[in-house]
Amino acid sequence: QGRVCHFSRRFSRSTVGFSTHSRPRIAPRLVPGAFAKTRSLRSATPNFHVHETSVTMASASSLASIQAPPVALRASALARARAAARARAPIVPRAAASAPPMSGIGACHAGAFLSETEKAHLVTIAAMIGTPGKGITACDEGPGTIGDRFEAVGVVNTEENRRAYRQVLFESEGANEFLSAAILDPETLYQKSSTNGELFPKVLMARGIVPGVKPHLKIFALPGQNGATVMQGLDSLAVRCAEYKAAGCEFAKWRSPLEIDVANGQPSDLTIETNMRDLARYALICQSQGLVPIVEPDIALKGTHDLETAVRVNVKVQSELFHQMNLHGVYMEGAVLKSNMVNPGKDCPVSYTVEEIAEANLQVFRRCFPTAMTTANFLSGGQSLEDASARLDAINKRKGRKDPWNLSFSWSAAVQMPLFQLCKGKDGLQLEAIGALYVAELAIASAAALGTHTRKGTEGDHKGRGGLFGGKK
Amino acid sequence: MPPIKSIFHDELIATAAAMSVPGKGLLAADESTGTIGKRLAGIGVENSESSRQALRELLFTTPGFEKRCAGVILYEETLFQTCVDGTPFVELLVSKNILPGIKVDKGVVAIPGCEDRGETTTAGLDGLEERCATYYQKGARFAKWRGVLTVGKNGKGPSERCLALNCDALANYAAICQKNGLVPIVEPEILTDGDHDIAVSQAVTTVVLQRVFESLNKAGVLLEGMVLKPNMVTSGVDCLKKADAATVAKLTVETLRRTVPPAVPGILFLSGGQTEDEATSHLNLMNKNSPLTNPWTLSFSYGRALQATVLKTWGGKSENVQAAQAALFERADANGKASLGEL
Repeated sequence: QGRVCHFSRRFSRSTVGFSTHSRPRIAPRLVPGAFAKTRSLRSATPNFHVHETSVTMASASSLASIQAPPVALRASALARARAAARARAPIVPRAAASAPPMSGIGACHAGAFLSETEKAHLVTIAAMIGTPGKGITACDEGPGTIGDRFEAVGVVNTEENRRAYRQVLFESEGANEFLSAAILDPETLYQKSSTNGELFPKVLMARGIVPGVKPHLKIFALPGQNGATVMQGLDSLAVRCAEYKAAGCEFAKWRSPLEIDVANGQPSDLTIETNMRDLARYALICQSQGLVPIVEPDIALKGTHDLETAVRVNVKVQSELFHQMNLHGVYMEGAVLKSNMVNPGKDCPVSYTVEEIAEANLQVFRRCFPTAMTTANFLSGGQSLEDASARLDAINKRKGRKDPWNLSFSWSAAVQMPLFQLCKGKDGLQLEAIGALYVAELAIASAAALGTHTRKGTEGDHKGRGGLFGGKK
Repeated sequence: MPPIKSIFHDELIATAAAMSVPGKGLLAADESTGTIGKRLAGIGVENSESSRQALRELLFTTPGFEKRCAGVILYEETLFQTCVDGTPFVELLVSKNILPGIKVDKGVVAIPGCEDRGETTTAGLDGLEERCATYYQKGARFAKWRGVLTVGKNGKGPSERCLALNCDALANYAAICQKNGLVPIVEPEILTDGDHDIAVSQAVTTVVLQRVFESLNKAGVLLEGMVLKPNMVTSGVDCLKKADAATVAKLTVETLRRTVPPAVPGILFLSGGQTEDEATSHLNLMNKNSPLTNPWTLSFSYGRALQATVLKTWGGKSENVQAAQAALFERADANGKASLGEL
């Protein structure tokens, strides 16, 4: 297998202290999906990171298409932007020493080191994110991942294309009717709208869409756990959060992916505990810097497990998460959940109706989701927009007194993959068409979040193939 | 562990739901012989089986009691007692649609190494399964086990040892009960002894409750088939700056929303050392002031807070029975209304 680094085609081969070869330390089985690798180029400024993204690719032909990395150029654009931001206003992360003294018990203090004003602000932002009928647009793919998606439909991966595309996601007419928040990649924080020249965080806030960020995180395999992983990124997180806050963000998001692999005993107790503990600490650090943490335990669709198994594992994982959050002293009222929907494995041979799936989702939440947290925005995780919307709608139709949370969406692929398809065979990004389809999709997502959507046919059902030959769809 | 599949699965859920009906609560009449002896001594009544029987008959035959009482927690002796006319207490209660329950723990015992901290664990797991089967046969449909914890020195909370032992015991007890058809009332009481302020009580209650539910989950307890009986979050008994009733209500609900999963049908508070009026007022404010919809019923499982006036009025004299019963109904009615926020 190989790891491919994706680059803009504008630049010819150059080797600025960069190697195209794999880092042997990364475990062979990498989790599919976006992740970024960071590397310090200069020790003098330890917060400076080069953002090079890498993705596993099985096909050998893709190795042949490796071109020279303009990593230095991309990196310096972001670095310049960050340096400029820092120069405008010196950023000092809130230090532990400046927090009011805490006596007594060290755990479960629910943000006792925060002032009432700080807590109230977190609650306000969480409430905005959890506005009924609205949801989150997840636009936090790093330059490499979004680049893959562009290139798959023949669009060149340039900084301007990334900027223009995101602008459509933020500014399309009518989008803000259905959006409460947007998750950005750090690069986007420092980009400007061509409409009014303002930085995107400001543009979003002005439209009533709370801007947030996914900090750069790095995944690695936990040795001895059959390829199960841990998401890294706690080091220097406080400093980076302070920067993001200064750039106009009001929340951050951290995703901890897990996979159900019953045969190999995954996710094991250790895998779960390690990941959820890190998620809890990330949440605490965010709050200490004035950001609402979105915690994302993401159990993948992959597998053949049935719905009962999915419920069991989801309860186990989420219970551990909320226990760790409480123990760490996370202020629960100022935190948001972004979890996977509870589904049978993608290749599960047993069939389930959308109502059964909805009931399973509510059952999991009832067994472990504290009502102090007021909203859960589901990720799509490979579900089509149709399936995800049908399921979200069924969940909201079934919601009762036992389910007081706002239950909505935080979708990336489900909403965006059809948008890329509009560019296939065309010349570059089809911004107008993208905008129109995007808003139409958001309207569906919003209806699902209100329980007023009407699904077509058997959308949302899980159609198992049954018997010996339960195969891929 | 996922919830253990008990053969009593549906019945447990139905019983727990019946115990958690808004507008009703539980009467805790499970004082052990020694404890009830103290109460009787306080009103000048000797601690004999017949006086204990007389008191309980007074309580259970109170007219209209069934309107506000979903169940009664009994002590083992009482489970096997009868009314003066020979009707078994259990039969009397069931005929009024009041669920009989049974205290199954055997009291607190010191934890080796934690004596100076005054920390205890609760005994009673040995032979519990057999006892549960007997109690179920006799007509009991729920059980109660009380774990006792303290806020610790300087509000540092219970020691890890105390937490582990008590939460494990509660979880084991709960699993055994459910296996045998009894809905477990899980009671982790944090004593109000001390001069700590309410913030300490909140932090300690959070630590304890989240550990309780961690243990319950690990033991495979069916949350839909159990009931929680926690303390309210209050200032310490000797605290100089006592928090007011509204704060007690607000912080109690806040703590529960952070730690108790919605699957639990009812949270039925203990009254601890609160006066009758305090216990009612706090409950009422919780239900009245809650800006958000709570997913569980918030109601009462009171002992002293229902019986204090009753005992004084009765004084052991049969001519006072009617007045004493009126006093019980008055308290039960007030608490029933409080569970709806109607006061």
